[in-house]
Amino acid sequence: MNIELTDVTRTFGRNKAVDGVSLAVGPGVFGLLGPNGAGKTSLLRMLATVLPPSSGTVRLLDKDPGRPAARTQIRRRLGYLPQNLGYYPSFTVAEFVEYFALLKEMPAHQVPKAVAAAVERVDLGPRAKVRLRTLSGGMLRRVGIAQAIVNGPDLLLLDEPTAGLDPEQRVAFRTLIRDLGQHATVVVSTHLVEDVGTACSEVALMAEGKVVFRGTPDELTAQGEGHQVGDSPLERGYSAVLAASRQQVPVTKRVH
Amino acid sequence: MTAVALTHRTARFRTARFRTVRALRLEIKHSTAVWVLPILAALFYVNAYRTAAGFPPTWTVRASVITGSNLVFFSVIAAGIAAWVATREDRRKTGDLLATTARAAWARQATVLAATAFWMVLAYLAGVAVLYIQTARQATWGGPPLWPVAVGVVGVAASCAVGFTCGTLLPGRFTAPIVAVAVFAAWFVGAQAANSVNPYQVSNLSSLKGTSALLGPVLGRPAFIDVGVYYHVPPDVSIVQVMFMGGVLLVMAGLLVLLPAARVPGVRGLSFAGRRWLTVVAAAGVACGVAASATAFWMAGTARYSLATGWDIPALHDAADDQPVPYTLDCTGSAFKVCIHPAFAPYLGAMSAALQPAAAEIAGLPGAPVRADMTMGYTSSAAVAGTTSVYDFFTEQEGYGGESFWATPALARTADWEQGWQQDFIIWFVSGPAEQDSPGPTPAQEAVAIALLAKIGAPVPQGYPQFSQPGTQSGASSASSASGGSGTQPGASAGQITAAASGFESLSSAARHAWLAANLAALRSGTITLAQLS
Repeated sequence: MNIELTDVTRTFGRNKAVDGVSLAVGPGVFGLLGPNGAGKTSLLRMLATVLPPSSGTVRLLDKDPGRPAARTQIRRRLGYLPQNLGYYPSFTVAEFVEYFALLKEMPAHQVPKAVAAAVERVDLGPRAKVRLRTLSGGMLRRVGIAQAIVNGPDLLLLDEPTAGLDPEQRVAFRTLIRDLGQHATVVVSTHLVEDVGTACSEVALMAEGKVVFRGTPDELTAQGEGHQVGDSPLERGYSAVLAASRQQVPVTKRVH
Repeated sequence: MTAVALTHRTARFRTARFRTVRALRLEIKHSTAVWVLPILAALFYVNAYRTAAGFPPTWTVRASVITGSNLVFFSVIAAGIAAWVATREDRRKTGDLLATTARAAWARQATVLAATAFWMVLAYLAGVAVLYIQTARQATWGGPPLWPVAVGVVGVAASCAVGFTCGTLLPGRFTAPIVAVAVFAAWFVGAQAANSVNPYQVSNLSSLKGTSALLGPVLGRPAFIDVGVYYHVPPDVSIVQVMFMGGVLLVMAGLLVLLPAARVPGVRGLSFAGRRWLTVVAAAGVACGVAASATAFWMAGTARYSLATGWDIPALHDAADDQPVPYTLDCTGSAFKVCIHPAFAPYLGAMSAALQPAAAEIAGLPGAPVRADMTMGYTSSAAVAGTTSVYDFFTEQEGYGGESFWATPALARTADWEQGWQQDFIIWFVSGPAEQDSPGPTPAQEAVAIALLAKIGAPVPQGYPQFSQPGTQSGASSASSASGGSGTQPGASAGQITAAASGFESLSSAARHAWLAANLAALRSGTITLAQLS
């Protein structure tokens, strides 16, 4: 398993952002759904080794991120796209991706090719030498994806990756993460359920810091039978599970 | 270690070096510091370049600019820009993204700091190069002093480190301006202390306490023009300054590693515990830095002042620095030679042009000087005592014309400058070699001097005649005090002196010469009265 969480909790002051989450995720595309404030980003930040857990154990790529040496090894094999991508406006697309390739301590001889490949994969090849300050929001998102995948990560964490992408790019992106998911564990945190439906092989739904559902997109769809809220079957399943969790009603496939 | 393991380690080192160099190249290319270079250039031109251009072309004097106010301005801007750059991750919200990378936060930050320091130090060195090239084209003696450059480089780098550390620990919109103002205030305090113990401004040299002065910049011009000319300037003070600021640099670098590891709130990048060996190394660095700065501070407190060589620090002092630097005077003229230290060779023509007419006017008289020699300023009174065969002048001489060598060679070619020397020369000859506490000129001496000066076209010295009222002395001018005290024959008015001078001037050259030949000794001894002049 590339991700093993055991009873992981993360608190900020009195606020419990992540509350006793246990998860084991192997290769493939894993969707993380949930409303605002459900704890998705906090969980993703722990998986990204940005935050240590307040309690519980985290193992990533069969290593303990609490140990400095292991953490460095994990980070070399990690790709992360935060919800709000910060960037340096004066850098060009290629320079920004190269910068992160260097920080991820990629083997020196691989860096130029890897940068070119990552930029091509997000369809920004013609704009490789364009400064970031001139790019649109959607293009910047693609730059963020490029930096996340430049090192060919075994664990790729994407927080709202399709926000700002046009429909064509969104389709291309889903193809990309499906492709990446064949070798790596890709965790996609999103509130766009159609992304999950088409790209993810497995999905977890979080509410109030807990994982209230885990299963396949089809299983989530099945939860919405007879539920009226939502435009698509998957959305109806999503809102049904959330409604049930608010009422403390156990759903068919509930994960602790 | 096996050969395979060694090869593997070497390869890892190479790839790590490659990554560091590439990352540094990117940071240098995109450093915000580039944007302040025009401001630095303008400050350099207004502050340092123009100041240095107004100094005589000797290396030590010109080099004093680069560790004076020039260093203050560079440090202030370097600290401010470094603080601003350090807040970049916070401003650009890249903290999370960067925290997930394998490269340690301290290494990443060190690259950013290095890029900032690179531009600041490069700009500083460019300024030094401009000054030194300008000086090299004009200087005729010695070579560029390198210790002040080392002090400046370490000072700018330390300021970058201070600013960067502040920006890292307290990221915020106002951090950079606050840091810049704080660094300026720190320099200002040091400069105040430095200037308060500037030997040029105090009379009791033994009371000097150099601690604060040696660790702060001396603003304004150096104490003496010929510093570094007759004696080498010992590197003691520079070594102490480099030690002090190097210590600060080390402390700041250590803190950059230690504080995130100690999980200081607000510090990004190492939320998990850091590596233990790194913490130990950083702590050792901080300890070494504190030790270096403290040692430098202590050593500065032991500094002694010497008129010949300036400040020296016993623990660092090399006695070889106390030996005078050998030189051969540059001379011109035949009947009357004007000789000058080669460091001041650009002044030789102007000095000769000033003194030759005056020497010709008194040529052939008993005791008339046959040459004029430049001597060290602070030993001049002893050198001139007792004889008039050689007119000894020195760089700090500010007599009747304010003719000091602080004027640039270009300014020295003006009539004012030359006439100042002529006045000094004639008055010195007429009054005789003066001891330290000798009285000022008598009315008769003044009248003769005025007359001789008029013959060579030089004006009456400022403050002459000194005896404006019978029985009283007025016009306590700088000239009076410069020549050593009050007159011995009060009782002549300014009008009487001027009239006597006119009468003496109206004599034929031969008559005037004959009168001086017969009465010069009596005139110098002060026994000649105005009435005896005609």
